[in-house]
Amino acid sequence: MSAATGTALFLSDENLGNLVAEIIAAGRRLVAPARDPQAAVGGSADYRYISSAAELAFGDSLPRMSLKGFFLPQSEVLFKWHRKGADVEIEAVPTEFPPQIVLGARPCDTAALEIVDQVMDWGLRDELWFGRRNATTIFNLSCPVEDASCFCHAVDLNPDATRAADGMLTPVPGGYLVESCTEKGAALVEGHKALFESGDTGAAAERSAAAAQYRAAARAKVAADLQIDTTRIKEWVGDHFDDEFWTALGPRCNGCAACASVCPTCHCFDIVDEPEGVGHGARRRNWDTCQTGVFTLHASGHNPRADQNSRFRQRVNHKFFIYPSRFGEVLCTGCGRCSRVCPEGQDLAEVLACIDELARA
Amino acid sequence: MNIYQPHLMNVVAVIDETPDTRTLRLQFKDPEVAAAFAFKAGQFGEYSVFGAGESTFCMASSPTRPEFIEASFKLAGKVTNELRQLNVGDTMGFRGPYGNTFPLEQWEGKNVVFIAGGIGLAPVRCVIWNVLDLRDKFGDVTIIYGARSVADLVYKRELEEWAGRSDVKLVTTVDPGGETPDWKGEVGFVTPVVEKTAPSVDNAVVVLCGPPIVVKMTLPVLAKLGFADDQVYTTLENRMKCGIGKCGRCNIGPVYVCKDGPVFTAAQLKGLPAEY
Repeated sequence: MSAATGTALFLSDENLGNLVAEIIAAGRRLVAPARDPQAAVGGSADYRYISSAAELAFGDSLPRMSLKGFFLPQSEVLFKWHRKGADVEIEAVPTEFPPQIVLGARPCDTAALEIVDQVMDWGLRDELWFGRRNATTIFNLSCPVEDASCFCHAVDLNPDATRAADGMLTPVPGGYLVESCTEKGAALVEGHKALFESGDTGAAAERSAAAAQYRAAARAKVAADLQIDTTRIKEWVGDHFDDEFWTALGPRCNGCAACASVCPTCHCFDIVDEPEGVGHGARRRNWDTCQTGVFTLHASGHNPRADQNSRFRQRVNHKFFIYPSRFGEVLCTGCGRCSRVCPEGQDLAEVLACIDELARA
Repeated sequence: MNIYQPHLMNVVAVIDETPDTRTLRLQFKDPEVAAAFAFKAGQFGEYSVFGAGESTFCMASSPTRPEFIEASFKLAGKVTNELRQLNVGDTMGFRGPYGNTFPLEQWEGKNVVFIAGGIGLAPVRCVIWNVLDLRDKFGDVTIIYGARSVADLVYKRELEEWAGRSDVKLVTTVDPGGETPDWKGEVGFVTPVVEKTAPSVDNAVVVLCGPPIVVKMTLPVLAKLGFADDQVYTTLENRMKCGIGKCGRCNIGPVYVCKDGPVFTAAQLKGLPAEY
C-alpha cells in the first residue's frame, strides 16, 4: 500500500491538542491511543474514547487491543425481546451510528477493518459492522514499528500504509505532517483548517524530509524482521492439513484465546441470549474464538476439533489459507500482538517462518 | 436490515416423535413474511427461544407443503431444553432459509435411495416428502432408516405410511439390543443393513444423513456397492451460530458449511479434511 498522497499540512503539537478540543466541543466522539485516566500509575495505552487532549498517548507503545472493538464490540446487543403473555415483541437496535473520529490509529489496525469488510459483506451484509464503518473517520499515525514481533511488511502492508484510512499523521519535529486520502479525511481537515499550517511555508521542505526519513527508518526496521512468502505459505497450509507439523504446536497452546482477543482481524463471534429481568432480555453477539474446545462442540458431545493441535491449526488455516482462498488476501496485518500476548510463547511469526521453510523445502 | 433479527413464528402443533425428540410445526406471525417465504430441500434455519438462544436445524418439512415449516430436534442442550417447554400458541424466532440445496431438478427420472440414522432422518424426511409429493417425476424410492432402538425411531406414523405404499421400499433397522419382541424390521447398524439391502446403483442418487460416525462408515460401503462419489449426497450439521458465513464456526477446511453446504456430495467431502 502506498503512503498518503494528499497535500501535506502541518499540525503542531499544540494544535493537535486544539484539534482534539474542537472535535470534542463539537460533540463528536473521538477515539485515540490513551492511558486509562483511572489508572493509579502507568497503565498501557489503549484506543479509548477520550474527553481531553491530556489523555492522548501518541508516543506510547502499540495500543494493547486493536481497533476492532469500535466496530465489532466485545459484546453487542443484536436486539431486545419482551414477552407479552404467549407473544414476544422485538425491539430493534439502530444500524446507523453517530459519527466518530479515530486519531492516531496504527496502520495495521486500520487496514484490518477493510480486510474484515470482505466477510462482513459476503452474502448478507452485516449492517451493524458497516453502520460503524461508515460513521467513522480514521487518521493513522505513521508507525515507528514496535519491536521484532512486527511483520506488517510480510503481509503486504508497511508502517506508513493508509489502507482503509482517511488520512495519516507522520511525526516531525514540533508536530505532525498531515495528509488526507479520502473525502472524509479532507472534510475533517477542512472543518478545522485554522489549526493546520499550509505546506507552502519555509519549514515545509524540512518537515517533508523529516517525515520521509521517519518513514524510511520504520520501513527499514520492520523489513529486518520476518521474511516469508504468503502465497507459498497458503499453498503449503492448504496441502498439509494432516502434517505432523501441527501436532508440535498444540502443546504450546493452552487455549486461553488471548491471541484472538488482541487480534485486529479475528472476527469470530458467538450469539447468546441474556435475560435482563423477568420476561425481557437481549440477544447479544460476543467475541468468540476457535481456540476453545466449546467453539465447535456439537450438542451430542461430538467435537470435530477435539484437541488443541487442531484448534491452533484452524487459526493458522483461517488466516493464511481459508481467507486468502475465499477473499484473496491473508487475514493478518502483522501487528504482532498475538506473539507478544501469548503466555506460552507461541509466536505466530516463528510459526510462519517454519511453514515458509517447509514450503521451500 | 439487521440480519441477526429473527422473524416471529407461532407454534401451531407439537408432535412427540420419541421420548427425547419432538417436532414443532410453525407458522410466521406476519402474513407478509409468510407470503414472501420460500425454501428448497436441504436448507436450514436458526430457530430461537427468546431467553435461551438459537439452534441450527434443517427444514424437516417439505417445500411442497408451504403452509408451515417443521423442525425436529432431540433434547440435547440449553436451547432444545427450552424448545421442549413450548406449547401450541407460543412464540419463537426463526432466521432463514440458509445454505444450499439438494439438486432435485437434476434428479428427475432417477431412482432415489435415502439412508438415515437417528435424528438424521429429519433433513432426509424433507427430501422424501418433496420426492413423494412429485412422485411421477422420480423413479424407484428406497428408504433405509436405522435408530438405536424401536423407541428411538422418529416419524413413526410416517414410517408406517411409507411401509404401506407400493411405490416406496422401506427398510428399517435398530441397533442390536434395541429391538422389541414384536419388531419386524432388521437388527443391526445402518451401515451393514445398507450393504445387505444393496440398492442398485443404476440411474440412482443417494441421500445420506446421520451422526458423523454413520456418514463416515457408510460412505465406503456405498463405494463398495458401486456408487460413484458424485451420486452420493449428504448434509452436514457442523455447529453454527450465525448461519450466514460470518461467525467462523462451521469451517471444514476451506469450506463454510453454512454457505457452501450443508449439502455436499461424497466427491466434495473426500476433498475435505475429516473435521466434521
